[in-house]
Amino acid sequence: MSSTGTRTQPPPRVIQAARSPIMASAFTGRKKVLLILELALLIAASIAPIVLPDYITVYATRVLILCLFALSFDLVWGYAGILSLGQSLFFGMAGYGVALLARDFGVGSIFAVLPAGTLIGFVAALLLAGFLLLGRHPSSVVFVSLGTMTGAYAADRLARGSHYLGGQNGIPSIPPMTIGSHELSEGPVFYYLVLAILVLIYLLSRFLLRSQFGLALAGLRENEQRIAFFGYKVQHLKAIIFAVSGAIAGTAGSLYAFHEGFVWPNMLGVVMSTQVVLYVLFGGSGTLIGAIIGTAIVEGLSFWLSDTYRDIWPVILGALLLLVILFRPLGLISLLLGERERVGSFGPNREEKRNAAP
Amino acid sequence: MDTLPIAMFEILSFGAIVVLVVLGLGIIASMMGIFNFAQGEFVLLGAYVTYLVHSVGLPVPLGMLAAPVVVGALGFILEKLVVRRFYAAPIVAMLGTYALGLIIREAVRGLTGGLYLSVPEPISGSITIGSLHFAAWRCVIVIITLLVMAASHALLAYTSFGLRVRASLENPSLARASGISTGMIYSLTFAFGAALAGLAGALIVPVFSLFADLGIRFLIQGFVAVMVGGVGSFAGPVAGASVIGTLSAWLPWLMSPVIADVLVFVLAIILIKVRPQGLVSGRGVNR
Repeated sequence: MSSTGTRTQPPPRVIQAARSPIMASAFTGRKKVLLILELALLIAASIAPIVLPDYITVYATRVLILCLFALSFDLVWGYAGILSLGQSLFFGMAGYGVALLARDFGVGSIFAVLPAGTLIGFVAALLLAGFLLLGRHPSSVVFVSLGTMTGAYAADRLARGSHYLGGQNGIPSIPPMTIGSHELSEGPVFYYLVLAILVLIYLLSRFLLRSQFGLALAGLRENEQRIAFFGYKVQHLKAIIFAVSGAIAGTAGSLYAFHEGFVWPNMLGVVMSTQVVLYVLFGGSGTLIGAIIGTAIVEGLSFWLSDTYRDIWPVILGALLLLVILFRPLGLISLLLGERERVGSFGPNREEKRNAAP
Repeated sequence: MDTLPIAMFEILSFGAIVVLVVLGLGIIASMMGIFNFAQGEFVLLGAYVTYLVHSVGLPVPLGMLAAPVVVGALGFILEKLVVRRFYAAPIVAMLGTYALGLIIREAVRGLTGGLYLSVPEPISGSITIGSLHFAAWRCVIVIITLLVMAASHALLAYTSFGLRVRASLENPSLARASGISTGMIYSLTFAFGAALAGLAGALIVPVFSLFADLGIRFLIQGFVAVMVGGVGSFAGPVAGASVIGTLSAWLPWLMSPVIADVLVFVLAIILIKVRPQGLVSGRGVNR
């Protein structure tokens, strides 16, 4: 009895080892790549509007918003293994929601519309998750992907058929978003606003995923049954991350609506949600930065190539995607980052333990 | 007075179209455990081949005969090159076949210039029974669907090829140990499923006309139908397709088409949620 009692207590020496700076630096060698990459991207993104001409800044703002959207898909697919083929549902619903707020109620203040969009995305995702993921039978991945895709398709059809929502044309000329009395239009100010929001949400997601919750998510992506045996409520975990990702998609959708100045049914439909799947697979699912890089690369390439090779560009994109799936299933990011950083390290490092063990 | 038989015929012929489209998808999903996201594009390709043959001046029925052969051959090659790498990971297979579908769809969009192209019905006119007129081509579709269904079932249930397919499905390692080349069987099954989609595309192109997004609509419908019917058996997808096809053709008579379209999918998803194993549970091909 006494021996088991002592074994449950961690030996104090290990804890000390974990805190010693020499040991800590020994295992961060790989981790630095990720940090350097993140910082480099942040710096590049911060100086971009200064060096780039204005019309590219406007395009870059759109790319940043799409990055935010890609982040939301990466959370559900890359981390929780939920193949949501209807992520655009939350994106588009929030977009339509804020567009209606601005059109019919004259509400354009950023402090009202962004929370509203986020809330719309969150509630819609929570409801859909409640139906698709919760219940007596655990849902198969195919069912969830089909259910989400159907949701997006249905919303697209309904928006196209609805006179109130503007039918095929959507809602044009949304009044601009305001901060106090200042009107936000396309350009550097909008760019930095979006960048700030993206960085904030990126950091929040990073924190969330490096927590115990994130570890449980990664576990259920790898082996759902085992996580269930550990006593986690797998379906609840999935529903929570699905709702969180819906909220992020909602934020992105409301920013997109105000940035473009109009919303149209494609924002809700299968086209948009397959687009986001493409970004994330390309960059590398399961790393937050992979989603960002994938979006930037795909959008950057299409900015260059779609003018010159308008007709065959989508074919090239499909072929590239196929090659990435075949030969780099973890995405382009896996060229730079090791498998380990997909999950991150938790608790005392293994190597460290080996050194510290008596 | 006369609307009821007309409506019944509409429902029957549309149901037949859905069954035809879903059959190939269902065979690939049930026999190989792969949800082929490129299936809609195989339908599109079948339609495109028919259009090509028509546009060079050859008769349309010839194109309809060529379509399943061409699409089946393409399916065979794609399986050898790409799809077989995915058997270990069905989810990756969905994404990989999705990429394949994207390539085919966008290639066709480029080739057609994003236009709606029409192909004439090989058998035009209508069949008149009493005071009722039925479009002749739709009758042909119904008949061909029944024939194809019966032939596919016979192929899987009664021939030695079907026996091998079923053996590979039920226990791949034992099948290999018994001297069945499972790799070849998988290639042929995939090609067969693709050929059925090609045939479906060829038959429906006079009704729907050719456009690049032709496949997407049928893809979602097909998936829902397979899931409603139940994966793993021959009868499941057929039953699911009948239900979905009937609902999609019948509901627009009762309400606005947009609402009906959405309602079909919502009902189907609820049905799958309540009964995840599908209408027809169980595996294999019943004799």
